[in-house]
Amino acid sequence: MKINRNSVTYAAVFTFIVCIAFVVVLAIANQVTLARVQANKRLESQTAVLKAFGLADASTPPSEIDAKYKQLITEKNVNGTTAYVATINGQTYVGVELTMPGLWGPITAVLATDKAGTVIQGFAIVDQQETPGLGGRITEPWFTAQFKGKKTLPDGTIAFAQGTGKGNFDPNNGTVDAITGASRTSDFVKALVNKELALARQIGGTL
Amino acid sequence: MSSATNKVIKDGLWYNNPIFVQVLGICSTLAVTNNLLNTLIMVLGVSFATSMGSLTLSALRELIPRKVRMIVQVLVLSFYVIIIDIVLRAYAPTISKQLGPYVGLIITNCILMGRAEAFAASNPPGLAFIDGLFNGLGYGWVLLAIAVIREFLGFGSLFGIKIMGNGFTPWTIMVMAPSAFFLVAIALWIANDYKAKAAKRATGAPSAAGAAGAAPAKPAATGGNA
Repeated sequence: MKINRNSVTYAAVFTFIVCIAFVVVLAIANQVTLARVQANKRLESQTAVLKAFGLADASTPPSEIDAKYKQLITEKNVNGTTAYVATINGQTYVGVELTMPGLWGPITAVLATDKAGTVIQGFAIVDQQETPGLGGRITEPWFTAQFKGKKTLPDGTIAFAQGTGKGNFDPNNGTVDAITGASRTSDFVKALVNKELALARQIGGTL
Repeated sequence: MSSATNKVIKDGLWYNNPIFVQVLGICSTLAVTNNLLNTLIMVLGVSFATSMGSLTLSALRELIPRKVRMIVQVLVLSFYVIIIDIVLRAYAPTISKQLGPYVGLIITNCILMGRAEAFAASNPPGLAFIDGLFNGLGYGWVLLAIAVIREFLGFGSLFGIKIMGNGFTPWTIMVMAPSAFFLVAIALWIANDYKAKAAKRATGAPSAAGAAGAAPAKPAATGGNA
């Protein structure tokens, strides 16, 4: 039988078959890698929580993260949100993870503070889709390290300001350097950090 | 190597270079070239997607009805792009995170559709594969050259390894998109000037603009240089 390649039926059937074929292969590829992708995600989240508490850094091997996390971190459900609690040197610290809007997509980050929520223990980005090289620099160590040991301002917030570009490491001024060329991302991260601080205070009060 | 293969390789890398002659894929040139590692992954991704996409579309070319050929091209090309995304997410999560939205945006790179429409639709699979691969690599070496300049001046590093000491003040402009515009324009200028002079030398007459004239992919795609 000769097939008329110009007929509408042929075009419709051909497109249909090609779509099915390629989509099935993609679905299989997705299924096959699903467990791995989820394991990667869990590892990312655990690493971020440990980093925020100052219990892990870039040099911690990924193979130790899971054991360390299980040993040191307690997950607590407070009013519907998951809070992370860790006791370091006899002091109780609270960690919260929040997802808020960024410039291109949601930004997820973990912030750990003391129980009163006035001194930040650490800050770590779990996931973000900001512009690589600009807003994407919020994941760079110099940026997140600024929050370590930082006292909040009297109103309980952290301010973002134009700085030298090298980071603001004075623990008492309540201010961190924003990112050059990424004012919008800096604004979004500021909102995220301050919301997390408020939440940490709230949760810390219940412990 | 047959002369056809030879010509396809030379065209991709130089005479019909996607950046210098076809002026395609400029968006990603602006976006990822401030960091060498991201650029390298982007180049590998684009080369993989164009070569495999061209191969598949060329193999199917007798079967694809003309009316729906673009739909099929987009489908096949996006298939390979999603494969790249899945593989990166599963086996190279750090790079996948760094590149963020740019992996998915490989599909909007005009080189993919340009080569599918201009070459793969009318050439055998083997040749189409080589054409796609070398267009990807032709795009790639220009991008990497620009990325070397931008990362070096913008961060004082190469592949994330610090080259310049602490006394070095980074050129912030090099990290931002405008610097890519300047650098691409300068690169285009140098390449085309060199080409024009070489053509003149070869024939002794200005008639040999033929090198630059062989740009079949230009008309449909330049409008949407995503």
